Amino acid sequence: MFHWLEKHPFFFSVGVFLVIAFAGLVEILPSFAQASRPVIGTKPYSILETTGRQIYIKNSCNACHSQLIRPFKSETDRYGHYSLSGEYAYDRPFLWGSKRTGPDLMRVGNYRTTDWHENHMKDPAGVVPGSVMPAYRWMYTNIADIPTAYAEQLTNAQFFSVPYNEPIPMKDGTTEVVKMGNNVTQAHAMALAEAKEIAADMKDQNVKDAVARGEIPEIVALIAYLNSLK
Amino acid sequence: MENRPLEYDYTVTKMFMFTTILLGIVGMLIGVILAFQLAFPGVNLFLGEGLAEYTNFSRLRPLHTDAVIFGFTLSGIFATWYYVGQRVLKVSMAESKLLMFLGKLHFWLYLVTVAAVVVSLFAGVTTSKEYAEFEWPIDIAIVVVWVLFGLGIFGLIGIRREKSLYISVWYYIATFLGIAMLYLFNNMEIPTMLASAPDGSHVGGNWYHSISMYAGTNDALVQWWYGHNAVAFGFTVPIVAMIYYFLPKESGQAIYSYKLSLLSFWGLMFLYLWAGGHHLLYSTVPDWVQTMGSIFSVILILPSWGSAINMLLTMKGEWQQVAASPLIKFMILASTFYMFSTLEGPIQAIKSVNAIAHFTDWIVGHVHDGVLGWVGFMIMAALFHMAPRVFKREIYSKSLMTTQFWIQTLGVVLYFTSMWIAGITQGMMWRAHDEFGNLAYSFIDTVTVLHPYYTIRGVGGLLYLVGFLMFAYNIYKTMSARPVEESELQSASPMGA
Amino acid sequence: MNKLYLWGIIITIIMFAATFYTLVITAGDSGKGLSEILSNDIINSLAIAGAITLVIITVFVVIKYVRQMQTDTAQGQLIDEQWDGIGEYLNEIPKGWGIAFILTMVWGMWYFTIGYPLNAYSQIGEYNEDSAVHNAKFESKYSAITGDRLVDMGKSVFLAECKVCHGLNADGIDGKAADLNVRIEEKTVKFAIENGSNNHLLGSEMPMPDRNGLFNSNTGALITDAEIDIVSKYVANGMSGAGEDVFMGTCAACHGEDGKGMEYVAPSVATFTPELVTNILNHGKKGSIGQMPAFERLNAKQKEAVGAYVTDLSK
Ligand code: HEC
Ligand code: HEC
Ligand code: HEC
Ligand code: HEM
Ligand code: HEM
Ligand SMILES: [Ca+2]
Ligand SMILES: [Ca+2]
Ligand SMILES: [Cu+2]
Repeated sequence: MFHWLEKHPFFFSVGVFLVIAFAGLVEILPSFAQASRPVIGTKPYSILETTGRQIYIKNSCNACHSQLIRPFKSETDRYGHYSLSGEYAYDRPFLWGSKRTGPDLMRVGNYRTTDWHENHMKDPAGVVPGSVMPAYRWMYTNIADIPTAYAEQLTNAQFFSVPYNEPIPMKDGTTEVVKMGNNVTQAHAMALAEAKEIAADMKDQNVKDAVARGEIPEIVALIAYLNSLK
Repeated sequence: MENRPLEYDYTVTKMFMFTTILLGIVGMLIGVILAFQLAFPGVNLFLGEGLAEYTNFSRLRPLHTDAVIFGFTLSGIFATWYYVGQRVLKVSMAESKLLMFLGKLHFWLYLVTVAAVVVSLFAGVTTSKEYAEFEWPIDIAIVVVWVLFGLGIFGLIGIRREKSLYISVWYYIATFLGIAMLYLFNNMEIPTMLASAPDGSHVGGNWYHSISMYAGTNDALVQWWYGHNAVAFGFTVPIVAMIYYFLPKESGQAIYSYKLSLLSFWGLMFLYLWAGGHHLLYSTVPDWVQTMGSIFSVILILPSWGSAINMLLTMKGEWQQVAASPLIKFMILASTFYMFSTLEGPIQAIKSVNAIAHFTDWIVGHVHDGVLGWVGFMIMAALFHMAPRVFKREIYSKSLMTTQFWIQTLGVVLYFTSMWIAGITQGMMWRAHDEFGNLAYSFIDTVTVLHPYYTIRGVGGLLYLVGFLMFAYNIYKTMSARPVEESELQSASPMGA
Repeated sequence: MNKLYLWGIIITIIMFAATFYTLVITAGDSGKGLSEILSNDIINSLAIAGAITLVIITVFVVIKYVRQMQTDTAQGQLIDEQWDGIGEYLNEIPKGWGIAFILTMVWGMWYFTIGYPLNAYSQIGEYNEDSAVHNAKFESKYSAITGDRLVDMGKSVFLAECKVCHGLNADGIDGKAADLNVRIEEKTVKFAIENGSNNHLLGSEMPMPDRNGLFNSNTGALITDAEIDIVSKYVANGMSGAGEDVFMGTCAACHGEDGKGMEYVAPSVATFTPELVTNILNHGKKGSIGQMPAFERLNAKQKEAVGAYVTDLSK
């Protein structure tokens, strides 16, 4: 039979395709429905957090940082509760990473703070001697791209029914609403409001001035995102 | 069958040989830079503070992986297809104007796509998915390039004189189909410009930005079903295609066992796709998917080793050739590294071992004993073999080739031993608790301890790059070396001193 | 002996040495012996075993085939066809390979249909068990830890968790976090007086008034800039030097004459206490330097220990 296939390229190719496609069907499809439901307390990203997430991706922080806490005592001691599938319900793309040159960041918002990130992103080795993380100084002057983040929020809401402007159940029984603007101007205003809170905890005068002028440097958005990782 | 050999047309092969070498240099140079950035973070600023946004580790890393995978390796695959394909199917590209045109179009579109990739990655335009970083416009270009490759394969097969397909052709077909299926599914993404503001006003934002169709755990599942098999159909299947042609051809030996080829091929096809779960061990994907990933990885050793053993046995009784020819040395060592990494992979895929190995440099070590020792060596061997036939000249220098072989072998060994130590050390340090039950090390302790190994890895990588430059020089000089007769090209490649 | 085997053994030994060396490094500061590292954590032993198996199998299987290159000769019946001059033998598959393939397949089928379902493995279940064992092991040990040992334990927590912000020497890294070698820095005192303080330092929400609520009973007026300066220096100096009178007049009512605080009224500003540190770890602290995060993932004993360590540092 095989020798026959080797003389009939069309059937050979069909054969190869069926053999390789099989595993995907069995392994991937059944898992889909199950994994996508958010757990209680998981909120969609706000406009500034979405912006920050895009900056995280733009700079490939996932090249060195994972966002996946495995169920080992040593990892839960270091990073907090192990990851649950539903916590990623709004992560498009997922950012688990595959290499930990730096620590996991899944819950970094719990144990690092705005001012620390401000110092650290500017000069990692100055804060943590021996760090091999690059400094990200241009983020203190580059201005963040709010319209693209807003377009992403809209895509999430319109194509994937991500619940913006709707009450979301929290762990303590209350509900919270993550607001999304009606247009890009509103989105920008909302981002700026978030940025002001972050900038208040920062020391860099240029960043503070920029935010006061209504501009949002990338670092502010990035910190908003890092703080949201809990 | 005719007696007079066909006049094969190597125009397209030559073009892709050129990009193999060029993108190999670029990709490996960036690899060496990355390695030294981790050893000496000051290297992040090697072009000064002003350009740090474009020269830092995280911006360059995807450039490295994509340059060596989609640049160096793919070019090598294309170059060898347009060479091997003609010869084992016994048809010449020159026989079909259409195929010739499609082949050239394939090359030029490929080059344009590569340029777009380089620009976009430097600019930080990425979707973050490993080995599938590109935004949708580039995805579309890649699909077109791939379809052209498919036309090249099936076009040549369509007009073939040799009725049955040689083993290498099986593997090229599988490469084409596998990547096509995987790439399409992993790159399902929604351009964000399709969304509209509730009040109907203009949104703006980057037109090329998109988000994945899948979220969270599902996205991870699809990504690693792709990522694992991108390795399978990019770093394994087409390279096996190469060795099945170039080793017997260069040595003049017949393949040891057809049956072994057959079982290895179909075994590999069936098993590989199941194993992707080993990238997601202890994650939030269902337990059974992870278990399947581990089990199938272990079974996968056999079809992988089958091909390698078939190659080693093909050289049975031919030790004098191995000793005499650096070109055959490259291929024998490639088989050996192939065996090493296809045993290492399954061992790392065992859940308990992965608990240590995952996220560490041990994985990076595994990657590079595969890509440097197997993929890199095999592609260079293929180019060395093709060069005299394509340029009708002998290889410029055998001694240069031998020196290169030993330099690069040392480079690979330094690379993987240092990453072996680094990875296992780091993995164990992360897990360690002290006498009080507290974590024994803060994260940074597990970083600073790696400094010597990062330095050794950098040196190893540098040696490999130096070897690659010697290779490039050798091929370049071949173009003006002593012309050779057709009769000299039957098996062993002619080499100058 | 054939040169090849010699090389094989050399390579194997080198890789073993490398692997052994990783154990030595890991043992490094963790205060443990090699055997303890392996026996305490089955995962470590398995990884090392895997690494060793990998080298031995690859090296010696490859040597076996290379020996065949050296001594054997190619033979067998050739297939009729040739491709670009390449022939194929109709040889049987190597027996060992065939058997191994069949065995692994059978094992795989068995594992998936019987072994795995019956085993009822769950990684979270395994985690829960491991944690329970770990916790039980230390729960009993913890109660015995007091005094200097408690400080040692606190240091171990500090080095794993706190040094990233406070620095290896707890000096706050050039003002990026609080310097814990002293109870309190001048700027922190000043900030508390100017802005008040509301950081759950007593474990409950018990605020300190800002300067508009701080009367100096000596002068009968609100505290002045000059007085703030001098009293801040006094407190930061460890309750000594000029400014004692301002402190007595303004602060002692709550913080006590010696500054050591009063239960339910105000915390100590003269010394750290484990309770003070624990409260900071439970609630975080936002001040003039920046923000200190809360540390939910430490357990009560670990907080007590690091409190003891910090208290010890500033003595
Ligand atoms: C070359 C690798 C590398 C890259 C790229 C990198 N980091 Fe890091 N990162 C590290 C290392 C190593 C550490 C641990 C030492 C330290 O804290 O600096 C770290 C630590 C951190 C921490 C502190 C986490 C903790 O628990 O202490 C944060 C937050 C962080 N990085 C964010 C980022 C962000 C955001 C980016 C991208 C913009 C980034 N990193 C890029 C290597 C990297
Ligand atoms: C009405 C009572 C009261 C008076 C008067 C008072 N304090 Fe306080 N002080 C407190 C309380 C309560 C806290 C703890 C608040 C908190 O939880 O953050 C505190 C906290 C502080 C802290 C912060 C300690 C830390 O570690 O951050 C400092 C410093 C301080 N007081 C100094 C002073 C000085 C100096 C004066 C006099 C000028 C003064 N206090 C007067 C009640 C008082
Ligand atoms: C993310 C950074 C960060 C980490 C991690 C951190 N701290 Fe802090 N810590 C700070 C900052 C910033 C301050 C200063 C707050 C202020 O007064 O402005 C501070 C203040 C403190 C104070 C109060 C000093 C005072 O004068 O009131 C104590 C005590 C302290 N830290 C102990 C610890 C301990 C113990 C740990 C580890 C378990 C720890 N910190 C981890 C950032 C950090
Ligand atoms: C039997 C064959 C193989 C198996 C079972 C296997 C298994 C594995 C495993 C378990 C990982 C680590 C996943 C993780 O924990 O992060 C891995 C990573 C990797 N392997 Fe293999 N491997 C095999 C062969 C190869 C070969 C031959 C190559 C290359 C020539 C290769 C290239 C890679 C790459 C590039 C990665 C890194 C993926 C990432 O980005 O995380 N593998 N492999
Ligand atoms: C000169 C030789 C090379 C050097 C010095 C080098 C160096 C590096 C470095 C430093 C990394 C990043 C590792 C990390 O994040 O910790 C890396 C990743 C990678 N390299 Fe190379 N590299 C070289 C050649 C190659 C070649 C030829 C290929 C493929 C054909 C390749 C494929 C990869 C892949 C797939 C990764 C990603 C691994 C992962 O994510 O686990 N490299 N390389
Ligand atoms: Ca990776
Ligand atoms: Ca894409
Ligand atoms: Cu894989």
